[in-house]
Amino acid sequence: MTDLLPPILPVLRNGLRNRIIVGFSLCVGGWTLLWGQPLTGVFVLPSIVAAGLFFAGLLIGARPRGKSLLVGALPTLLLILTAPVVDAQDLVRLSQDDKQWVMPAKNYASTRYSGLNQITKDNVGQLKLAWSFSLGVPRGQEAAPLIVNNTMYVVTPYPNNVFALDATTGDLKWTYKPNTSPASQGVACCDVVNRGLAYDNGKIFLNTLDNHTIALDANTGKELWVTTLGDISRGQTLTMAPFAVKGKVMVGNSGGEMGVRGWVTALNEDDGKIAWRAYSTGPDSDVLIGSDFKPFYPQFKKKDLGVTTWPADAWKHGGGTMWGWLSYDSGLNLLYYGSANPGPWNEAQRPGDNLWTTTLFARNPDTGSAHWALQLNPHDTFDHDEINETLLLDLPIDGKPRKVAVHIGRDGFMWVVDRATGEALSVEPYDEQNAYKGFDYKTGRLMPNEEKKPSPQKTVHNICPTAPGAKDWQPSAWSPRTKLIYVPHQHLCMDWKSSEVGYIAGTPYVGATLDMYAASGGYRGEFLAWDPVQKKRVWAIKENFPVWSGTLVTAGDVAFYGTMDRWFKAVDATNGKVLWQFKAGSGIIGQPVTYQGSDGTQYVAILAGIGGWPGVIANAELDPRTRNGALGFTGAVQDLPAYTGAGSELLVFALPKSAPTSATPNGAEGNSDQPQ
Amino acid sequence: MINLNRNREPSFPAVRLLGCAATATLAFFVAWNALAQSRNAPVGPGERPDYGSEASKLLAVPATGVLPGAVPSPVDIKNPFEGDPGAVERGMKHFVNFNCVGCHAPNGAGGMGPSLSNNKWIHGDKPANIYLSIYQGRANGMPAWGSTLPSNVIWELVSYIESISQDPDHHFGKTISRNPQSPDIEQVPAQELQTATPWKHTQPFSNGRRP
Repeated sequence: MTDLLPPILPVLRNGLRNRIIVGFSLCVGGWTLLWGQPLTGVFVLPSIVAAGLFFAGLLIGARPRGKSLLVGALPTLLLILTAPVVDAQDLVRLSQDDKQWVMPAKNYASTRYSGLNQITKDNVGQLKLAWSFSLGVPRGQEAAPLIVNNTMYVVTPYPNNVFALDATTGDLKWTYKPNTSPASQGVACCDVVNRGLAYDNGKIFLNTLDNHTIALDANTGKELWVTTLGDISRGQTLTMAPFAVKGKVMVGNSGGEMGVRGWVTALNEDDGKIAWRAYSTGPDSDVLIGSDFKPFYPQFKKKDLGVTTWPADAWKHGGGTMWGWLSYDSGLNLLYYGSANPGPWNEAQRPGDNLWTTTLFARNPDTGSAHWALQLNPHDTFDHDEINETLLLDLPIDGKPRKVAVHIGRDGFMWVVDRATGEALSVEPYDEQNAYKGFDYKTGRLMPNEEKKPSPQKTVHNICPTAPGAKDWQPSAWSPRTKLIYVPHQHLCMDWKSSEVGYIAGTPYVGATLDMYAASGGYRGEFLAWDPVQKKRVWAIKENFPVWSGTLVTAGDVAFYGTMDRWFKAVDATNGKVLWQFKAGSGIIGQPVTYQGSDGTQYVAILAGIGGWPGVIANAELDPRTRNGALGFTGAVQDLPAYTGAGSELLVFALPKSAPTSATPNGAEGNSDQPQ
Repeated sequence: MINLNRNREPSFPAVRLLGCAATATLAFFVAWNALAQSRNAPVGPGERPDYGSEASKLLAVPATGVLPGAVPSPVDIKNPFEGDPGAVERGMKHFVNFNCVGCHAPNGAGGMGPSLSNNKWIHGDKPANIYLSIYQGRANGMPAWGSTLPSNVIWELVSYIESISQDPDHHFGKTISRNPQSPDIEQVPAQELQTATPWKHTQPFSNGRRP
């Protein structure tokens, strides 16, 4: 720098003010254009630094003498190099801005909590429909709308059309219709759903059912790149919402019922090229287990467990897909997710622990390398995928603050795990449970109940929870105000009969006949508030049908969720009192979100449209009189078509412009569909 | 009607000739393939049907109910195993062995694929329609089994599917209602009773509760 200063001085003397104005304007303009963000919030500091660099570059670059060109380019180069770091901060910042909802889980910690507080438990009773939009695809609507800078992005089930709408007025900005293969519908196990989009750095990322990951220009809807990740003739599909972190977009595959070998793949956001792929089965080199791998429990430390815990070659069709949720801790630089069930469902064909299926992983997002792993259901016998959401919370455990990952297990247990080490701190059942005996803290293994273990050609009755688990994909929420986790889930038991199945690529690889039904009490679903520190249920709302929608909780102490019998409900987050409800056109299995429009109003959005694994009985050609349909879910929901038909409507709610603040519950009465 | 047809005809003789040639070639290959397969097909019990002439006749089976000129289809292909209870039983085993059960579910309840337990058919209810749906596959996800399964296996699957689709409800449409209850019966579930005639074993509708 000392070398630089003397040559700069004459330039400074020759029109300093002009250069400052031009340089700074260029920088601000360039910054806004490049990264698409206004210069506010935590962005101010890096912006000023960048402005300085840019200005310096401009000054030096303008120098007439020889060697200055290289020197002048240096600051600009620095700016470019810092861009990826700034990008990561960009999405962090956006996810912390409560006006936005930039990823399905709201933020990297997956809390689905919004600090917006215009809508409170005192005025939510006044909530009214502000606008709606028909998606035109009457299958299961599981997606979360995204809201980025007053634009809402919505994705439909197959064929996975994307709509961009003005988030305040509902005006349609652009539509993108991918040429998704119709045949992909035939290899999707549980309706042709899509769980949402991802956003980062001016791009929207989309997964199509037929294995394409696509980047779109968020402003124009223009297709930027398309990467093919799988083959429907091998039973692979994509249904999960991509997850953007540090310049990469993470995608996991579906097809655990089709003998697919599961993975998570990281694609470069810029060009769609594959940066890394981590399989859930196979040798350590494929699972990206290397020198960084330090699992807490000794049974996970042996070599190539993804091969040795299977019969010969069975891991090649062994499942462990990842069609659910990821979380990210920027402090530890670790990515968290759980892998799905082993295949086939008939456990007799795969003796062994079947690693790394039903396993919680912590990975480095830059390289994919595994840091720790914890298998939740060794040798899973009941299709207990563990792709459910993992909430990253800082909780007092035994009086000491701990950085934990809370995974609301499909197996019916609330797993509280040290997210730095992979140690299970508490593993408590949150619903009726007889499939397992409980967690052994010494060995780190969930212990099966041998009485409920399937054996070939014998029907085992009354296993709880069922194959979809006590909770499936439908994500929970956490409020830092109430310190409660809000858990939408099902309340079912099942009969199970195993049978031999052969692997034929592109066809189901299951080997089990299932029949599900309501668990004790006769109700089939529940909206539960759980205290993860006290390890206990605080309150619960019983629902007639499985609660297959996600949830959302706000600083107004209101939690929102939807029911399969068409109610969208707002409840008091402190005590579970239903404060408001709206009867939608079709059953709700979507994910509610909230945001602030350009008019300063808080909105709440949800997709209505029955479907998903329990909902295909009401949106596709199934017979309610044959209980074993839909992999056994028909038995538990055979009366659903008498409550709802298919639909596909985006509903957006707000308080009236002059909303009274007094509490007047509206519509909370007359819920005749509630079980008494 | 005639005008409409004329408008759709190719204008140049060359195009027409090419179309005829293409159709003939396609027909030849499909027939040849089916013939070759039938020769290799394992022989089931009972008299072996003449797959060769069946295969060429299958080409003439319409895939739609709209027949221009209202001229009825001259094709009437019977399932060569019609009336053979052994074929139904063998079909039930194929239904499991070739993973049909994974999509269409035990007793044809439906799931990833449509139900086969009622009298609703997307691609036609004749034995030949069912045969062709299995042989050719269908656009919305039904795999094409023609290059994997021999003809007699497909016909035995047709026999089984015809057996499980004997819906006792003969109304034109289905009524769904909570009160009065409709439907009011369900099958005895497959984990309790393995049968090729599930509609002969019914119980009251359970409304999602344990039967």
